[in-house]
Amino acid sequence: MLNQGARRAVLHATSLLGFLLLWWLVTHFELVRPLFLRGPGEVWDAFVRANTDHPISAGSDRMVRGEQNYYLWEHLLASLQRIAIGVGGGIVVGVPLGLVMGTTWLGTLLEPYLNFLRSLPPLAYIGLLIVWFGIGDTSKIWLLFLAAFPPITMATISGVRGVRDDQVNAVLSLGASRRQALTTVMLPATLPEVLTGIRVAVGFAWTTVVAAEIANGIPGIGGLAYLAGQQLQTALVLACILVIGLSAIALDLGLKSLEKALVPWRGKA
Amino acid sequence: MSSTHEHEVEVAGVRHSFRVQGRQVPALDRIDLTIQPGELVTLAGPSGCGKTTLLRLVAGFMQPSEGAVRVGTRPVRGPGIERGVVFQQPTLFPWLSVQRNVELGPRLRGRSKQERAETAHRYLELVGLSDVAGHRPYELSGGMQQRAQIARVLANDPEIVLMDEPFGALDALTRERLQNELLEIWRATGKTILFITHSVDEAVFLGSRVLVMSPRPGRIVLDEPAVFGTPGHLVPPEEIRALPDYVDLRERVRVAIQQREPAAGGAPA
Repeated sequence: MLNQGARRAVLHATSLLGFLLLWWLVTHFELVRPLFLRGPGEVWDAFVRANTDHPISAGSDRMVRGEQNYYLWEHLLASLQRIAIGVGGGIVVGVPLGLVMGTTWLGTLLEPYLNFLRSLPPLAYIGLLIVWFGIGDTSKIWLLFLAAFPPITMATISGVRGVRDDQVNAVLSLGASRRQALTTVMLPATLPEVLTGIRVAVGFAWTTVVAAEIANGIPGIGGLAYLAGQQLQTALVLACILVIGLSAIALDLGLKSLEKALVPWRGKA
Repeated sequence: MSSTHEHEVEVAGVRHSFRVQGRQVPALDRIDLTIQPGELVTLAGPSGCGKTTLLRLVAGFMQPSEGAVRVGTRPVRGPGIERGVVFQQPTLFPWLSVQRNVELGPRLRGRSKQERAETAHRYLELVGLSDVAGHRPYELSGGMQQRAQIARVLANDPEIVLMDEPFGALDALTRERLQNELLEIWRATGKTILFITHSVDEAVFLGSRVLVMSPRPGRIVLDEPAVFGTPGHLVPPEEIRALPDYVDLRERVRVAIQQREPAAGGAPA
């Protein structure tokens, strides 16, 4: 008898192997044209090639670095960096804004604008940002910031509004000043919701950055995927897609465990 | 004005009504009440009679529509350090350990770490929670949480303790034990206590003075001294409950609570 965790691991491993086998069969017998789909082996080769120095073509002495002069992990890192800056800005602006909006009349005033911004697909305004900030990294970071701060602000507002009155009354009765009530009760009580907001924002920013790198996105994992597609390097496109998807899952898992460590009381009190 | 003690609680001509869907609904009719320092006043009444409203007015969580609440000579304008509040729901903070919850009051006033720890230990021992000091509140049973809340209020050393049906949600055994503990604490500390309950027996057993409030809009319809919880009384609880005087008072309180007064002046025109 296996325990539940082991059974689940076996199930996932089996399905993954089955998927790889199917993929290999489909490509090995060329059920799909190689231009459309490459086999797992070729995708792995493209992945390795993209992370190493290799000859520019078979038999040549000239070596090139990864793809587009950056290793694949450098492309990934470039995208992650944009996200970190964009979401970081979103936290710095979104949390205080959410606190103010959640506790004062400013919330009523600004909420429609925030809702409007939140409901826009960020790519709808990338053109405008490029006009304002140029085609470089600045416009992309602005884009990510604008994508990240509304969910963080909304989450903070709902967190603040969800703080039980009596929790604040309790700390005031213990002699807290307004400021102490904010730091000892309002902020920690809002933290679970803020962390959820950050998780949503990171997910949103990730899909946005990959799409935004279509324009002048090298280095950048989305830019590389797009460029590889244009050059018909299907194996490299697939490698990029796998890296993008797995990174997103890893990011979310990381944030989830951070949540667990920071708010162990979630769902219990 | 007569000799007003510094920590006498005075409720003078207080009326209070709530706005419900645009209509004013009266909650308290006209309350005149003076609580002397060192009294343990129990306030019983049917649910919804406004007894919690009265407690929250004394706590300073809201202002009366009419009349005034004073402590000593100072009007109550908000929560204050001299009025500790034990809520019906234990409002412990889940991001702090039990000990950190208990030492929160002293911490807010900038007491040294050592002094805080000593205070916390003293009061945790008083309520019998020394061995769970490092736990989080949600790891404790309801009765233990309520004790921790009482310890937190006592550790802040308020002159007046306002208790809003603190034992209402507990099982009979735990409730009885906490009642006895409360009496011991009151005898040992000499605090002024306003204790709200919907239990006739609890009101008569604990109070040095028993008040009964009529159904909404609340008015005080019975105000009698009780001797059963008074300092010096060290008769076992079972024997107290069998005393003829006790049975008599309990009967009078029961009748007073059940009395449905004709809503003569109460109904809004």
